[in-house]
Amino acid sequence: MIKDILKIGDQELGSRLFLGTGKFSSTEAMIEAVKASGTELVTVALRRFNREQAEDDLYGPLAGLENVRLMPNTSGAMNAKEAIRAALLGRELSKSPFVKLEIHPNPHHLLPDPIETYEAAIELVKQDFLVLPYIPADPVLAKRLEDVGCAAVMPLGAAIGTGKGLSTAEMIKIIIRDSNVPVVVDAGLRSPSEAACALEMGCDAVLVNSAIAAAENPSAMGAAFKIGVEAGRAAYNAGLMSTSEVALASSPLTSFLSPND
Amino acid sequence: MKLTVNGEPHEHLGDGSIDGLLGELGANKAHTALMVNGDVIPSAKWKSATLKENDDIEMLVFVGGG
Repeated sequence: MIKDILKIGDQELGSRLFLGTGKFSSTEAMIEAVKASGTELVTVALRRFNREQAEDDLYGPLAGLENVRLMPNTSGAMNAKEAIRAALLGRELSKSPFVKLEIHPNPHHLLPDPIETYEAAIELVKQDFLVLPYIPADPVLAKRLEDVGCAAVMPLGAAIGTGKGLSTAEMIKIIIRDSNVPVVVDAGLRSPSEAACALEMGCDAVLVNSAIAAAENPSAMGAAFKIGVEAGRAAYNAGLMSTSEVALASSPLTSFLSPND
Repeated sequence: MKLTVNGEPHEHLGDGSIDGLLGELGANKAHTALMVNGDVIPSAKWKSATLKENDDIEMLVFVGGG
Protein backbone atom coordinates (compact mmCIF):
# COMPACT_ATOMS: atom_id res chain seq x y z
CA MET A 1 0.00 0.00 0.00
CA ILE A 2 1.32 3.45 -0.89
CA LYS A 3 1.73 5.62 2.20
CA ASP A 4 -0.71 8.49 2.23
CA ILE A 5 1.66 11.42 2.63
CA LEU A 6 0.52 15.02 2.83
CA LYS A 7 2.80 17.32 0.91
CA ILE A 8 2.90 21.04 1.74
CA GLY A 9 5.39 22.81 -0.45
CA ASP A 10 8.47 20.61 -0.29
CA GLN A 11 7.60 19.27 3.16
CA GLU A 12 6.07 15.82 3.66
CA LEU A 13 3.89 15.00 6.64
CA GLY A 14 2.73 11.57 7.72
CA SER A 15 -0.15 12.90 9.85
CA ARG A 16 -3.07 15.01 8.72
CA LEU A 17 -3.70 16.30 12.21
CA PHE A 18 -1.95 19.56 13.12
CA LEU A 19 -1.99 20.53 16.76
CA GLY A 20 -2.05 23.87 18.53
CA THR A 21 -0.19 24.09 21.83
CA GLY A 22 -2.26 26.79 23.57
CA LYS A 23 -4.69 26.48 26.47
CA PHE A 24 -3.23 23.29 27.97
CA SER A 25 -3.23 23.07 31.76
CA SER A 26 0.49 22.29 31.76
CA THR A 27 3.39 21.75 29.41
CA GLU A 28 3.41 18.08 30.38
CA ALA A 29 -0.26 17.71 29.40
CA MET A 30 0.48 19.38 26.06
CA ILE A 31 3.45 17.13 25.33
CA GLU A 32 1.43 14.00 26.16
CA ALA A 33 -1.38 15.15 23.85
CA VAL A 34 1.08 15.87 21.04
CA LYS A 35 2.52 12.38 21.37
CA ALA A 36 -0.90 10.70 21.56
CA SER A 37 -2.19 12.60 18.53
CA GLY A 38 0.61 11.42 16.27
CA THR A 39 0.88 14.93 14.85
CA GLU A 40 4.01 15.95 12.98
CA LEU A 41 3.25 19.68 12.89
CA VAL A 42 2.48 21.85 15.92
CA THR A 43 1.81 25.54 16.14
CA VAL A 44 3.43 27.86 18.67
CA ALA A 45 3.02 31.54 19.46
CA LEU A 46 5.56 34.22 20.33
CA ARG A 47 5.48 36.18 23.55
CA ARG A 48 7.81 38.66 25.23
CA PHE A 49 10.51 37.03 27.33
CA ASN A 50 9.73 37.15 31.03
CA ARG A 51 12.21 35.67 33.47
CA GLU A 52 9.43 35.08 36.01
CA GLN A 53 7.49 32.91 33.54
CA ALA A 54 10.34 30.79 32.25
CA GLU A 55 8.20 27.64 32.62
CA ASP A 56 5.98 28.87 29.75
CA ASP A 57 8.91 28.69 27.30
CA LEU A 58 8.06 25.75 25.04
CA TYR A 59 11.23 25.69 22.98
CA GLY A 60 12.95 23.07 25.12
CA PRO A 61 10.00 20.69 25.61
CA LEU A 62 9.08 20.75 21.90
CA ALA A 63 12.66 20.40 20.68
CA GLY A 64 12.76 17.06 22.49
CA LEU A 65 9.99 15.58 20.35
CA GLU A 66 11.03 13.43 17.43
CA ASN A 67 9.38 13.87 14.06
CA VAL A 68 7.54 17.04 15.09
CA ARG A 69 8.05 20.25 13.13
CA LEU A 70 7.13 23.66 14.45
CA MET A 71 4.84 26.13 12.76
CA PRO A 72 5.04 29.51 14.52
CA ASN A 73 1.90 31.60 14.23
CA THR A 74 1.62 35.35 13.90
CA SER A 75 -1.01 35.69 16.59
CA GLY A 76 -1.09 39.14 18.13
CA ALA A 77 -0.33 40.82 14.80
CA MET A 78 -2.85 43.54 14.02
CA ASN A 79 -1.74 44.11 10.44
CA ALA A 80 0.47 42.77 7.66
CA LYS A 81 3.59 44.58 8.84
CA GLU A 82 3.39 43.10 12.34
CA ALA A 83 2.63 39.65 10.97
CA ILE A 84 5.68 39.72 8.71
CA ARG A 85 7.84 40.71 11.65
CA ALA A 86 6.38 37.94 13.82
CA ALA A 87 6.98 35.40 11.05
CA LEU A 88 10.63 36.44 10.72
CA LEU A 89 11.10 36.20 14.49
CA GLY A 90 9.39 32.83 14.61
CA ARG A 91 11.61 31.43 11.88
CA GLU A 92 14.68 32.40 13.87
CA LEU A 93 13.59 29.92 16.51
CA SER A 94 11.66 27.27 14.61
CA LYS A 95 14.28 26.62 11.93
CA SER A 96 11.27 25.57 9.89
CA PRO A 97 9.80 27.09 6.73
CA PHE A 98 6.21 26.86 8.01
CA VAL A 99 4.31 29.91 9.19
CA LYS A 100 0.68 30.06 10.23
CA LEU A 101 -0.29 33.50 9.05
CA GLU A 102 -3.06 34.82 11.26
CA ILE A 103 -4.19 38.40 11.55
CA HIS A 104 -7.35 38.85 13.58
CA PRO A 105 -7.44 42.32 15.08
CA ASN A 106 -10.87 42.11 16.69
CA PRO A 107 -10.73 40.18 20.00
CA HIS A 108 -14.52 39.79 20.12
CA HIS A 109 -14.76 37.43 17.17
CA LEU A 110 -11.11 36.74 16.21
CA LEU A 111 -12.10 36.60 12.56
CA PRO A 112 -9.22 36.99 10.10
CA ASP A 113 -8.58 40.28 8.32
CA PRO A 114 -8.52 39.13 4.69
CA ILE A 115 -6.85 42.24 3.29
CA GLU A 116 -3.94 42.35 5.72
CA THR A 117 -3.58 38.57 5.42
CA TYR A 118 -3.35 38.80 1.65
CA GLU A 119 -0.74 41.56 1.76
CA ALA A 120 1.38 39.72 4.34
CA ALA A 121 1.15 36.49 2.36
CA ILE A 122 2.65 38.13 -0.74
CA GLU A 123 5.68 39.31 1.22
CA LEU A 124 6.18 36.10 3.21
CA VAL A 125 6.09 33.97 0.06
CA LYS A 126 8.83 36.21 -1.37
CA GLN A 127 10.84 35.51 1.75
CA ASP A 128 10.62 31.75 1.15
CA PHE A 129 8.14 30.85 3.85
CA LEU A 130 5.65 28.05 3.44
CA VAL A 131 2.67 30.28 4.18
CA LEU A 132 -0.45 28.69 5.66
CA PRO A 133 -2.95 31.52 6.07
CA TYR A 134 -5.85 31.28 8.51
CA ILE A 135 -8.77 32.70 6.56
CA PRO A 136 -12.52 33.06 6.48
CA ALA A 137 -14.09 30.26 4.46
CA ASP A 138 -14.09 32.43 1.36
CA PRO A 139 -13.41 30.60 -1.91
CA VAL A 140 -12.39 33.80 -3.72
CA LEU A 141 -9.81 34.74 -1.08
CA ALA A 142 -8.55 31.15 -0.90
CA LYS A 143 -7.92 31.18 -4.64
CA ARG A 144 -6.20 34.56 -4.52
CA LEU A 145 -3.90 33.30 -1.77
CA GLU A 146 -3.10 30.20 -3.77
CA ASP A 147 -2.32 32.44 -6.76
CA VAL A 148 0.24 34.46 -4.77
CA GLY A 149 2.03 31.30 -3.70
CA CYS A 150 0.61 30.19 -0.36
CA ALA A 151 1.53 26.57 0.34
CA ALA A 152 -1.93 25.75 1.72
CA VAL A 153 -5.07 27.57 2.81
CA MET A 154 -6.69 27.21 6.22
CA PRO A 155 -10.36 28.22 6.23
CA LEU A 156 -12.10 28.33 9.59
CA GLY A 157 -14.81 25.81 10.44
CA ALA A 158 -16.17 28.19 13.08
CA ALA A 159 -14.73 31.03 15.17
CA ILE A 160 -11.63 30.20 17.22
CA GLY A 161 -12.37 28.33 20.43
CA THR A 162 -16.12 28.10 19.90
CA GLY A 163 -16.30 24.38 19.23
CA LYS A 164 -19.15 24.94 16.79
CA GLY A 165 -17.78 22.54 14.24
CA LEU A 166 -17.97 22.74 10.47
CA SER A 167 -20.43 25.61 10.28
CA THR A 168 -18.84 26.76 7.03
CA ALA A 169 -18.96 23.32 5.38
CA GLU A 170 -20.63 24.45 2.15
CA MET A 171 -18.01 27.15 1.52
CA ILE A 172 -15.19 24.78 2.43
CA LYS A 173 -16.48 22.32 -0.17
CA ILE A 174 -16.18 25.02 -2.83
CA ILE A 175 -12.65 25.84 -1.66
CA ILE A 176 -11.69 22.16 -1.87
CA ARG A 177 -13.18 21.80 -5.34
CA ASP A 178 -11.25 24.76 -6.72
CA SER A 179 -7.97 24.49 -4.79
CA ASN A 180 -4.66 23.23 -6.12
CA VAL A 181 -3.00 23.51 -2.71
CA PRO A 182 -3.89 21.60 0.47
CA VAL A 183 -6.96 22.78 2.37
CA VAL A 184 -6.73 22.61 6.14
CA VAL A 185 -9.73 23.32 8.36
CA ASP A 186 -8.44 25.48 11.18
CA ALA A 187 -10.54 26.50 14.17
CA GLY A 188 -13.97 25.58 15.42
CA LEU A 189 -13.71 21.80 15.58
CA ARG A 190 -14.87 20.18 18.80
CA SER A 191 -15.03 16.46 18.17
CA PRO A 192 -13.16 13.73 16.29
CA SER A 193 -16.29 13.06 14.25
CA GLU A 194 -16.11 16.63 12.90
CA ALA A 195 -12.47 16.08 12.00
CA ALA A 196 -13.46 12.86 10.25
CA CYS A 197 -16.19 14.75 8.43
CA ALA A 198 -13.70 17.39 7.25
CA LEU A 199 -11.37 14.74 5.87
CA GLU A 200 -14.26 12.84 4.24
CA MET A 201 -15.23 16.07 2.47
CA GLY A 202 -11.76 16.18 0.98
CA CYS A 203 -9.93 18.48 3.34
CA ASP A 204 -6.27 17.56 3.39
CA ALA A 205 -5.79 18.09 7.13
CA VAL A 206 -7.25 19.76 10.20
CA LEU A 207 -5.65 22.00 12.79
CA VAL A 208 -7.01 21.45 16.28
CA ASN A 209 -6.18 23.13 19.56
CA SER A 210 -9.03 23.93 21.97
CA ALA A 211 -10.88 20.65 21.37
CA ILE A 212 -7.89 18.72 22.67
CA ALA A 213 -6.47 21.19 25.19
CA ALA A 214 -9.83 21.82 26.86
CA ALA A 215 -10.93 18.18 26.91
CA GLU A 216 -11.18 16.49 30.30
CA ASN A 217 -8.35 14.20 29.20
CA PRO A 218 -6.29 15.97 26.52
CA SER A 219 -4.04 13.02 25.78
CA ALA A 220 -6.99 10.67 25.26
CA MET A 221 -8.70 13.29 23.09
CA GLY A 222 -5.51 13.67 21.05
CA ALA A 223 -5.61 9.92 20.43
CA ALA A 224 -9.31 10.13 19.53
CA PHE A 225 -8.68 12.90 16.99
CA LYS A 226 -5.90 10.81 15.46
CA ILE A 227 -8.39 8.01 14.82
CA GLY A 228 -11.03 10.46 13.56
CA VAL A 229 -8.64 12.02 11.06
CA GLU A 230 -7.40 8.64 9.87
CA ALA A 231 -10.95 7.32 9.49
CA GLY A 232 -12.03 10.40 7.55
CA ARG A 233 -9.07 10.22 5.21
CA ALA A 234 -9.47 6.48 4.68
CA ALA A 235 -13.15 7.04 3.84
CA TYR A 236 -12.27 9.80 1.40
CA ASN A 237 -9.74 7.53 -0.31
CA ALA A 238 -12.25 4.68 -0.36
CA GLY A 239 -14.82 6.84 -2.15
CA LEU A 240 -18.13 7.52 -0.47
CA MET A 241 -21.29 6.16 -2.10
CA SER A 242 -23.50 8.65 -3.86
CA THR A 243 -26.69 9.81 -2.22
CA SER A 244 -30.20 9.15 -3.50
CA GLU A 245 -33.55 10.86 -3.07
CA VAL A 246 -35.36 7.51 -2.99
CA ALA A 247 -34.83 4.37 -0.95
CA LEU A 248 -32.71 1.71 -2.61
CA ALA A 249 -33.00 -1.70 -0.96
CA SER A 250 -29.90 -3.49 0.10
CA SER A 251 -31.66 -6.82 0.59
CA PRO A 252 -33.83 -8.76 -1.91
CA LEU A 253 -37.48 -7.77 -1.62
CA THR A 254 -38.91 -10.96 -3.16
CA SER A 255 -41.48 -12.48 -0.79
CA PHE A 256 -40.70 -15.97 0.26
CA LEU A 257 -42.31 -16.02 3.67
CA SER A 258 -45.82 -15.46 2.29
CA PRO A 259 -48.48 -17.17 4.46
CA ASN A 260 -50.59 -17.90 1.28
CA ASP A 261 -48.30 -20.69 0.09
CA MET B 1 23.60 52.46 28.57
CA LYS B 2 19.86 53.20 28.63
CA LEU B 3 17.80 50.75 26.60
CA THR B 4 14.15 49.83 26.31
CA VAL B 5 13.65 46.08 26.63
CA ASN B 6 10.17 44.68 26.01
CA GLY B 7 8.68 48.07 26.62
CA GLU B 8 10.45 48.66 29.94
CA PRO B 9 13.48 50.89 30.63
CA HIS B 10 16.67 48.91 31.21
CA GLU B 11 20.13 50.05 32.22
CA HIS B 12 22.64 47.91 30.37
CA LEU B 13 25.96 47.56 32.17
CA GLY B 14 27.75 45.20 29.77
CA ASP B 15 29.74 45.53 26.59
CA GLY B 16 26.85 46.54 24.35
CA SER B 17 26.64 43.19 22.59
CA ILE B 18 23.32 41.37 22.33
CA ASP B 19 24.95 38.31 23.86
CA GLY B 20 25.91 40.47 26.83
CA LEU B 21 22.40 41.85 27.20
CA LEU B 22 20.79 38.40 27.08
CA GLY B 23 23.19 37.12 29.72
CA GLU B 24 22.42 40.12 31.89
CA LEU B 25 18.68 39.43 31.65
CA GLY B 26 19.00 35.71 32.27
CA ALA B 27 17.58 34.71 28.90
CA ASN B 28 18.40 31.40 27.24
CA LYS B 29 20.03 32.45 23.98
CA ALA B 30 18.94 29.34 22.09
CA HIS B 31 15.31 30.00 23.04
CA THR B 32 15.18 33.70 22.23
CA ALA B 33 14.38 35.68 19.09
CA LEU B 34 15.17 39.34 19.06
CA MET B 35 14.47 42.65 17.33
CA VAL B 36 16.34 45.92 17.66
CA ASN B 37 14.38 49.01 16.64
CA GLY B 38 12.00 46.82 14.68
CA ASP B 39 14.65 44.85 12.78
CA VAL B 40 15.04 41.14 13.40
CA ILE B 41 18.65 40.37 14.33
CA PRO B 42 19.68 36.76 13.57
CA SER B 43 21.50 35.04 16.41
CA ALA B 44 24.61 34.69 14.24
CA LYS B 45 25.07 38.44 14.60
CA TRP B 46 24.54 38.68 18.34
CA LYS B 47 28.21 38.63 19.23
CA SER B 48 29.14 41.42 16.87
CA ALA B 49 26.01 43.61 16.86
CA THR B 50 26.55 46.66 19.02
CA LEU B 51 23.70 48.25 20.87
CA LYS B 52 23.36 52.01 21.09
CA GLU B 53 21.89 54.34 23.67
CA ASN B 54 18.06 54.35 23.54
CA ASP B 55 17.79 51.23 21.37
CA ASP B 56 14.39 49.56 21.58
CA ILE B 57 14.74 45.81 22.00
CA GLU B 58 12.07 43.14 21.82
CA MET B 59 12.99 39.69 23.12
CA LEU B 60 10.56 36.87 22.36
CA VAL B 61 10.18 33.21 23.20
CA PHE B 62 7.87 30.42 22.07
CA VAL B 63 4.77 29.83 24.16
CA GLY B 64 1.62 27.81 23.61
CA GLY B 65 -0.58 28.97 20.76
CA GLY B 66 -3.02 27.56 18.24
